[in-house]
Amino acid sequence: MSTVDAASAKASQARRNYSFLFALTLLGLLVLLWVVLAIATPNFMSDKNISNLLRQGSMIAILAVGQTFVIITAGIDLSVGAVVGFTTVIIALLINAGVPVWLSILITLLVGLGIGLFHGFGITKMGLPPFIITLATLTSLRGIGLLITNGSTISIDNDDFTAFATKDFLGIPSLFWMVILVAVPAYIFLNHTRWGRYLFAVGSNPESARLSGVRVNGVIYLAYALSSVFAAFVGVLLATRIGIGNATQAEGWELQAIASTVIGGSSLFGAVGSVHGPLIGAFILATINNGANLLNVNSFWQRIITGGLIIVIVYFDQLRRRGR
Amino acid sequence: MSATHFATPEAAPLASGDIILELRDLEKRYGPVLALKPASLAFRRGEIHAIVGENGAGKSTLIKLLTGVIPRTSGDIRWNGKSVSLATPQEAIDHGINAVHQEVMLCRHLSVAANIFLGDETVKFGLLQKRDMVRAAQAILDDMGFQLPAAAQLDSLTIGQQQLVATARAAKRGTKFLIFDEPTAYLTRQEAAQLFTLIRRLKAEGVTIVYISHRMEEIFELADRVSVLRDGQMVGTRDIAATDDNELVALMINRTIEQIYHKEQIPFGETLIETRHLSGKGFSDVSLSIRRGEIVGLYGLIGAGRSEFALSLFGRNPKTSGEILWKGKPVSITSERKAIDLGIALAPESRRDQGLNLNLPIGLNLNLPIYERLTKGFVISAGEEARRADKQIRDLSIKTPSRRSLASSMSGGNQQKIVIGKWLNHGADLFIFDEPTVGVDVGTKAEIYRLFAALLKEGAGILLISSYLPEVYELADTLHVFRSGRLVGSNPFHGASHEEVLAEAIGV
Repeated sequence: MSTVDAASAKASQARRNYSFLFALTLLGLLVLLWVVLAIATPNFMSDKNISNLLRQGSMIAILAVGQTFVIITAGIDLSVGAVVGFTTVIIALLINAGVPVWLSILITLLVGLGIGLFHGFGITKMGLPPFIITLATLTSLRGIGLLITNGSTISIDNDDFTAFATKDFLGIPSLFWMVILVAVPAYIFLNHTRWGRYLFAVGSNPESARLSGVRVNGVIYLAYALSSVFAAFVGVLLATRIGIGNATQAEGWELQAIASTVIGGSSLFGAVGSVHGPLIGAFILATINNGANLLNVNSFWQRIITGGLIIVIVYFDQLRRRGR
Repeated sequence: MSATHFATPEAAPLASGDIILELRDLEKRYGPVLALKPASLAFRRGEIHAIVGENGAGKSTLIKLLTGVIPRTSGDIRWNGKSVSLATPQEAIDHGINAVHQEVMLCRHLSVAANIFLGDETVKFGLLQKRDMVRAAQAILDDMGFQLPAAAQLDSLTIGQQQLVATARAAKRGTKFLIFDEPTAYLTRQEAAQLFTLIRRLKAEGVTIVYISHRMEEIFELADRVSVLRDGQMVGTRDIAATDDNELVALMINRTIEQIYHKEQIPFGETLIETRHLSGKGFSDVSLSIRRGEIVGLYGLIGAGRSEFALSLFGRNPKTSGEILWKGKPVSITSERKAIDLGIALAPESRRDQGLNLNLPIGLNLNLPIYERLTKGFVISAGEEARRADKQIRDLSIKTPSRRSLASSMSGGNQQKIVIGKWLNHGADLFIFDEPTVGVDVGTKAEIYRLFAALLKEGAGILLISSYLPEVYELADTLHVFRSGRLVGSNPFHGASHEEVLAEAIGV
């Protein structure tokens, strides 16, 4: 037995080093991309481009953190892109109706909460697979948004609101500050509260969690509620950035969010994930898109590169996990 | 495809000493656990050879080794006198070794005919000949005397009927060595009779049958010889005519009582829990009570309803009728949380599926029930979390380098300590231990039994569920026997012999 335990000693040490190394490797990849682009293109390091890159990456980064909570429970949330599009419509209508901005934001976030709770209900009470219930809201939320607006785009008549996205604070774009505003509490929540532990426990083995007194259904409600509220928050940010409400916005963002999460080291089988991983993942994807634009790479290639990157990173991650 | 789908007549019975399959010192280890001690046994061509033993005695390990599902650790298997590797299920099938498992392993959504022909379909010009297959399958079923429709979808049949389909499928493949694992568990009397007719006919055609069952009367009706397994060891083979069920039961039970059963008599305190005519999914009309300082044993075969009863006490499965009294007051335990808040702890039957979060750290597993207590304000007190985990690791001498190691990296015995440790961390009045020593080495077993004694001393009560008779027999103050979801016997301490208890559980 002692040989077994000696081996496991090494394994546990290696595992901790490994998760640290993985984060460092991702960060290294991001820095490498930046260095290469700074050398290869004259415009990459310009203030304008860097702020633009940070703005582009910020919204996917917030979506990816919410998505990570769901993925840790071994679920998936396909609806987040549709929630973003839908909530741009909600906030546009509210602000144009003269509702104070703070109240409009609050109501929009509550709409997000409602969508998340509906997902929780579908999964725990109706027994629907997460893939199915969130796929259903993905398509129907776009439909509801188009129905409300009659398919048109709503311009937001509030210059203070629409100016927010272009502002800087301490030289950093306001949208990037929003990432920090979300990521710090998210980190504390995931790593230093019991609910964070429960997310991992449910993703690892829901039956064991249940028999240890964890309210599994409550945890599932929580994960999907957080994901949808984060998406509604991104909807607000997108509305300030583009100044309109339109239900077809943010097409495909759910896949970018999932890709960021997976690149950031989460396992779609659950119980593995972090807050910093999806953040770095989101900015790697944003950098690739930005760099490809600057290098005049055909935008079709960007999609192909993103796909290839997902395969390579997750494959190496799998190899390392299996090897340990 | 006419009626000649059984083994060819050329292979029919030869001399009775003709050996088809021989095991020489066959051994299987899982890490430190010896699942099958070196076993030697020779199966004769055309005999019906029964294998009996308690749960966990090594029967399923033996089946898996013979059907190529798991590799052996050492030893030799000889098929028709030649050494074979049996490294994959396909290799076993190619030799003509098949098994009909207790759990039906067929495709539920396909027709009976499609299942019988699965992997061996009749094809013409690249297209399936469904009508031909249904006709041929029907001929096979009729020939075997099974009244089953070949065109029906499999899951429209009862589990018993599905088992007959599985048998037909194995027989059709020209099998020479057919293993039945508890084949009659779900069969009606009539279906069982049809199955026995088929088994005798296969025997007449020279097929060797290995028949595993807890039902003594079936073994004496069918078998030519019987072998007994106990604690992973082959303890004897008898001609059926030269033995009786008393001898077999005696062989199945280890008479030498090991020193590991640590037991102190502690005066009983108040009654913690009492069930009155409690019924639920898988069990009915169970009345028993557990006092402080008392170990109540539940003995019975796996699937007898013991675990379902335990899960119901713990709020996992709701009761359908009857009453539960907790410290004298009627309670309704509708959720696990409620049971835990009352002071009930459960170490469930399956470590992997119910007891552990395998791919998470040991510390998280140990603290999972108490995170509410560890939370100060909004966040978890990291120091307290570490202290509580390390205390259990030390107290239970869980052999791990760190609380951060994954539970999956531990041996079975250490994993079981984690499952128990999480409830010591939490504290409880009533501890339910469901098969606490399965797959656990002797040293850890002794540690677990000492832990029981310590819990009793602190005033807890224990419900000990086990299919390992010596364990419940030696440890329990009150012993109840479960059979088919009911209490069939309740004996005060040492009031009945091992043989009587086992006979009651099997229903001899």
